[in-house]
Amino acid sequence: MSRETESLRNARISRAQFFRMMGGLAVAAAAPATLAACSTQTNSGTTAGTGGAAATRLRFVGVADQKAPMDALVAAYQKVKASVAIAPSYAPTDQVQTSVRTQLGAGNAPDLHVVYPGNGSAMSMNQIASAGLLADLSAQSWAQTIPTGFKPAFQHEGKTYIYSAGSSVIGAIYNKKVFEKAGVDAPPTTWSEFLQVCEKIKKAGLPPIALGAQTPWVTQLITYALVPSTVYAKDPGFDDKQAAGQTSFAQSGWRDALEMYLELQKRGFFNDNPNGTTFEQQTSMVATGKAGMAIQVSAVLPDFRKSAATPDDLSMFPLPGADDAAQVWIPAGVVVGLGAAAKGKNVAEATAFIDWLGKQENINAWAKTIAAIPLTQDSSSTIDPVLESFLSFTKDRAVPFMDQRWPNAEVQPTHFAVVQDLLAGEIKIDEALKKMDEAYAK
Amino acid sequence: MSVSTQPSTRRRKRRSGALSPPWLFAAPALLVYAAVVLYPSIAGVVYAFTDWSGIGDMSFVGLANFQAMLGDEQALGSIVNTLLITVAIVVVQNGVGLLLALGVHARIKSQTLLRVIFFAPVVVSPVMVAFLWKYVYNPAPGAGLNGLLAVVGLPSQDWLGDPSLALWSIVGMVVWQNAGYSMVIFLAGLEGVPAELHEASMIDGASTVQRFRFVTWPLLAPALTINLMLSTIGGLKLFDQVFAATGGGPGYATETLSTVLYKQAFVFGKFGYSTAVALVLALFVAAVSFIQLYYLRSREVAQ
Repeated sequence: MSRETESLRNARISRAQFFRMMGGLAVAAAAPATLAACSTQTNSGTTAGTGGAAATRLRFVGVADQKAPMDALVAAYQKVKASVAIAPSYAPTDQVQTSVRTQLGAGNAPDLHVVYPGNGSAMSMNQIASAGLLADLSAQSWAQTIPTGFKPAFQHEGKTYIYSAGSSVIGAIYNKKVFEKAGVDAPPTTWSEFLQVCEKIKKAGLPPIALGAQTPWVTQLITYALVPSTVYAKDPGFDDKQAAGQTSFAQSGWRDALEMYLELQKRGFFNDNPNGTTFEQQTSMVATGKAGMAIQVSAVLPDFRKSAATPDDLSMFPLPGADDAAQVWIPAGVVVGLGAAAKGKNVAEATAFIDWLGKQENINAWAKTIAAIPLTQDSSSTIDPVLESFLSFTKDRAVPFMDQRWPNAEVQPTHFAVVQDLLAGEIKIDEALKKMDEAYAK
Repeated sequence: MSVSTQPSTRRRKRRSGALSPPWLFAAPALLVYAAVVLYPSIAGVVYAFTDWSGIGDMSFVGLANFQAMLGDEQALGSIVNTLLITVAIVVVQNGVGLLLALGVHARIKSQTLLRVIFFAPVVVSPVMVAFLWKYVYNPAPGAGLNGLLAVVGLPSQDWLGDPSLALWSIVGMVVWQNAGYSMVIFLAGLEGVPAELHEASMIDGASTVQRFRFVTWPLLAPALTINLMLSTIGGLKLFDQVFAATGGGPGYATETLSTVLYKQAFVFGKFGYSTAVALVLALFVAAVSFIQLYYLRSREVAQ
């Protein structure tokens, strides 16, 4: 036994002394809390201005992709409306799905939270709106101007439930220097031209396409880039027919898209071991000139630029999924947005903030930060110059990301898994399509 | 102390009372336990028989979730993966742990330093370990572990991307982290082996191997019981490292019961089904642990 414990044992304390001591401890423990409370009060007092009215605090939980635009706009809103303070927090998609959905289920959701457009994931607009947990935004003025083609992404049963600043496209983010060195003078406009470009880069000694298929969501992008040409260019009503059970993944151009995907692998156009390569490694390969291009979504352009020594080396072109340039369609999906909790305490203030986000200048600001194409455009809208080559498509040869029309949250992860299995040579295309059809039917 | 001034009769009464303390004393703790452990667990069991999506209404579906599990390739595949991982972890982690313990138990210089080094990975968060090991498992030739292979002239491997290798890569990572934990428990067991038994066996002319086999090993039984149980439970419920390293991929190659139940609940929004999987996992862990404990306890010897 140590000396300290011995002396404690022998110490004599009367009951009264003991209580006095405990009381003192309790006060000591409570003191910092009281002090902290005082300091918060002074803080909110200063931010709320001289009005003296208690500020409404709105909680926003978003995904990491939303941090840059949201932080800037929240700060701007503070100047417009000092009585409302928005406290944003951000987390990776997986964690947001876990925490926000649990909070939604328990009835204590944040006032504003991330919502994915359309259907097809656990945090998607359709899934949450159909449980009655999203506030109706249909009456707001920006909601009247949603382009027709995008309406399925924003609306459930004719009502608007999600705000999103615009759309992003999927295509090839490429390193201009690598292309130059390999003797490629212009981006390809047909599938066979694309294969020739890859061949040239391969001959120059670099992997033409960096693929980070260890990161699940990256697996889907090549299929998504091809399917508009192999499926929707031939049959724009494919989604409705699939929903009605008249067609399936196996009976459609999805098969061609997967065959083209594997053809790229067979010809040796990917880096070694794509299944063991992550998104970050993929990004750095292209940004540092160790690979020619990556099939990616335009929203990650900022990530690629950050890892490049000279960001201007990077540009983007639509991946041509057909041999007739007129039959090339592209995927253009509404970017991740936000909604207001229908059952929150501050629904009015939360929807007022969304209404403000819907102003053209704010749509422009958000879209610019994430290199997206603004939902609606005016003379002050800017579009990232590297996306120029996509603009001719966005009017009538673009389709939303496929998962936004899928009926449940299982099809997309199944697509991830079968692509990894295909790349590993574990399964054949027939089996992959069968698994996706089964998931669709659930 | 004031107690010592009490009459002796009262003291005796108190002492006999101390044999069965009033349940009321435990009430606050029991209440807290019931509120944070018992109630959620029982409520969870109820969800296993519903089609709850996590939000919105639910209805009872009887045993449908359990029937669905029988036809769910992914869930069944994950059971096989979970068993493979568990067996591998139990065998390798404890084997390595025992060797490390025997090593640092020997009277060698810097044994304290070595113990600290071997135990160090245990205090790192499993998710961080997984992220760090993703660098070790970089598939590019010459990077990470492949660099070591290149030095000895072996071809590089796609550690986490090759479906036939990914599971074992994860086992390697887990063993690296937890072998030190097994080592510490074995060390505690080794410290408890009386020196006089070793001396006696040496006088009897026993070799080093014989001394380990007939003196150390039987007396290590309690430490072995604890180690086997902890590593079995750890293997069966393995989640963090798998989730952070591969997310269950490539394909479904490293899907464990825990990642399946996570995905069913939080990715697919099928809380009812997920709870059913969790219930099966819990019963499975309980059954295996019980059998293990029963068997291992029976081979422990009194010192």
